[in-house]
Amino acid sequence: MTAIQVTWLREVRAFRGAFSCGVPVTAFLAVCGWMFVMLLRRNEGSVLQIQSIWGLSIAPWLPILSAVLTMRLFAEERSSGMIDLLMSSPIRERELVIGKFLSAVTVIAVSLTLSLIVPMLVLPSLSTPMRGMARSVAFASTFLILFLQSSTWCAAGTMISVFFRNQAAAAVSSLVLCSGVPMVVYGVILAWMPGVRSEVAWMPLLVHVYDFSTGLFSTSVIALYVATTLFFLFGCSKLLACLRVRG
Amino acid sequence: MLEVDHISFSYGYHKVLDGVTFDVAPGEIVALMGPNGAGKTTLMKILACLLMQDVGSVRLDMIDPLVRPVKYRRNLGYLSEHCPLYSEMTVESYLTYRVRLKGERAMRVRRRVSEAMEMCDLGAVGKTRLRLLSNGYRKRVGLADALIAHPKLLLLDDLLAGLDVGQRKKAAAVMSAASSRASVVVSGHEIHEMIDWCTRFLVLKRGHVVAMYRTCDYTRDELKRMLELQIVSNGDGEVNP
Repeated sequence: MTAIQVTWLREVRAFRGAFSCGVPVTAFLAVCGWMFVMLLRRNEGSVLQIQSIWGLSIAPWLPILSAVLTMRLFAEERSSGMIDLLMSSPIRERELVIGKFLSAVTVIAVSLTLSLIVPMLVLPSLSTPMRGMARSVAFASTFLILFLQSSTWCAAGTMISVFFRNQAAAAVSSLVLCSGVPMVVYGVILAWMPGVRSEVAWMPLLVHVYDFSTGLFSTSVIALYVATTLFFLFGCSKLLACLRVRG
Repeated sequence: MLEVDHISFSYGYHKVLDGVTFDVAPGEIVALMGPNGAGKTTLMKILACLLMQDVGSVRLDMIDPLVRPVKYRRNLGYLSEHCPLYSEMTVESYLTYRVRLKGERAMRVRRRVSEAMEMCDLGAVGKTRLRLLSNGYRKRVGLADALIAHPKLLLLDDLLAGLDVGQRKKAAAVMSAASSRASVVVSGHEIHEMIDWCTRFLVLKRGHVVAMYRTCDYTRDELKRMLELQIVSNGDGEVNP
């Protein structure tokens, strides 16, 4: 087993028994299911397809789930002192970071898959034209964009958790970075440049979800999320290396 | 062979270590002694690659941790002062995780775990969760973790703290056995016990090595008296009240 696999396996097992994983995932599934049903009722007869409704009901909650899942990754190690044992082990910082990041992403992927249960239950009761539009490829592409977005939030959360010993502080900071900053930027752009309102009627992060759910693939969007994820992971491994310099 | 050459380290403007130089041959057990704040834990952390020295170099069998960090750490066993563990794991699963993380081959993992558990007398608590263990047992798990991959350099920070008399004797026996294939550096304050199994004593004070004694050069009482005098004196030859 490589160091990444060993780290991933331990973290996934730790997630399985952790209160800070079971409760947020359950709450996430409940809220997403409720929001999906509400959006479905509100958009009856509109052009929105079921996979778009599913994607849009989930996307706003992903930064919160990611922040809660990643808050403990390094903050817990730092507060308990286990970081010393990990850093004196013969593994590279990047292996440690990737192993931990992948464990959080695994939990997110499982949560996303479970969140498909409500649409699948609702699907048979929908009208024939709407059922006809629901294709597995469309769901797959929506899943892809949601997965890419959550990977970015998880990478950001993993990096933020290196700064803290307190898990709650790490979660709040991660939430501010992943959710607060994009919303503030979006609000500021609309306030200062009302002319762009017609072009940016929706927040770009939600637009990406909508585009992918309707089959509008964009390699630049995929590249953006992958690059941002890699940037945060790189930053995280360098921050860990900096801990060696000053303790 | 561990070679430490003119190591200096500062936290901001506060110099913690200043020109520390010594070496440890395989088979030696070197004790780092000194009053609180002398720089023992900082020196241990530098040797364990947890801190980077400002000046000087460290080499283990000619491997510089700044040049080949992973290879250096592969030969390292480290017991931290506070002995942190993953409380939700059992003793056996924790040691299995640690030995895998240290890059041991899959076929040797079980053997290494059972060897370390036997050496540190952990057989009875193998299936017990770490959060249920007493401080003494936690220390033994930490020691088993340090020994598990047969390191060439064993760094044990405050090994004897929190152990009862029987466990201290057992820990000393374990360390003496481990020193047959490793260089051992151990820090602590328990002069009476450490005299029995350490081969050399380094006294650190305000970041300097102020004295070095070989156990074989003195009688037990002489050595004890000199160490106590060195540790409690204020550096000007006077003894602190």
